[in-house]
Amino acid sequence: MNPATIERLGAIIGGIVVAVVAFYALYKDWHTPGVENNVFKLMLLLLGLGAVLALLAGLNVVGFSPKGA
Amino acid sequence: MTTAAFGADSEGHVDQLYVETRELRLQGFLLFLISDCVLFSSFIFAYLYLRNSGQGWPPPGIQRLDTAFAAWNSVVLFGSGATMHYALENFKHGNFMKYMWFLLATIVLGAGFLGGQAYEYNHLIFGEHVTWGGSGIFGASFFTLTGMHGMHVFLGVCYLTVLVLQSAAGVYRGGQYFGITAGTLYWHFVDVIWVVLFSIFYLL
Repeated sequence: MNPATIERLGAIIGGIVVAVVAFYALYKDWHTPGVENNVFKLMLLLLGLGAVLALLAGLNVVGFSPKGA
Repeated sequence: MTTAAFGADSEGHVDQLYVETRELRLQGFLLFLISDCVLFSSFIFAYLYLRNSGQGWPPPGIQRLDTAFAAWNSVVLFGSGATMHYALENFKHGNFMKYMWFLLATIVLGAGFLGGQAYEYNHLIFGEHVTWGGSGIFGASFFTLTGMHGMHVFLGVCYLTVLVLQSAAGVYRGGQYFGITAGTLYWHFVDVIWVVLFSIFYLL
């Protein structure tokens, strides 16, 4: 297994785990009131989207890899 | 500011003062994050403007950035956002040991991200000869924005280390934990900025 494949696998597995954790935390906190909780919710949403982007990059759906893999 | 900094009296005025000033400190901290957001936004829009005003991107002689390693390194940083969130949640629910472990995990992951960034810089500078001053707009924008973000991550790691020490010393207790809330907000902010930087440098 070459390094690029390992990096992609890490991105895929990590991306799934982080996306699930972020969206689950968002779901759990959805009804919490207050300014700080609303900021947390926005940031959890963006964190989850970032994890999905990393997952898609790991799957080679988006981005570019000169090493192939 | 903490309970210890306020000092306590026998009538519980510390709690009153904490409650009275907490919202103000929260608003002040959010304003700080917004001002930081403006700073990053100005650099990001300058980069996007320059990128779209040239003849193709990346400039001739420079390869597109490799996504595989960046995606892995991004997941490390995003993972630290998740652990930080659970650190705060555990503190709120009184699970002090779990809070400490999640906080330490956040520091390790943040440091791991910085290590990954150093590895990538090393590869770009010495492997592909992309430098801040010698690779035109591309090098200047990439190293300025990711370097500025890396500095924020480094400061965040320092801040979280201080939180660990303060927590071990019993500074935060009960409902008085604004320092931890501020640390969590800052760390999430750093994560979110990286979502944007990762997208514009590696995915577009």
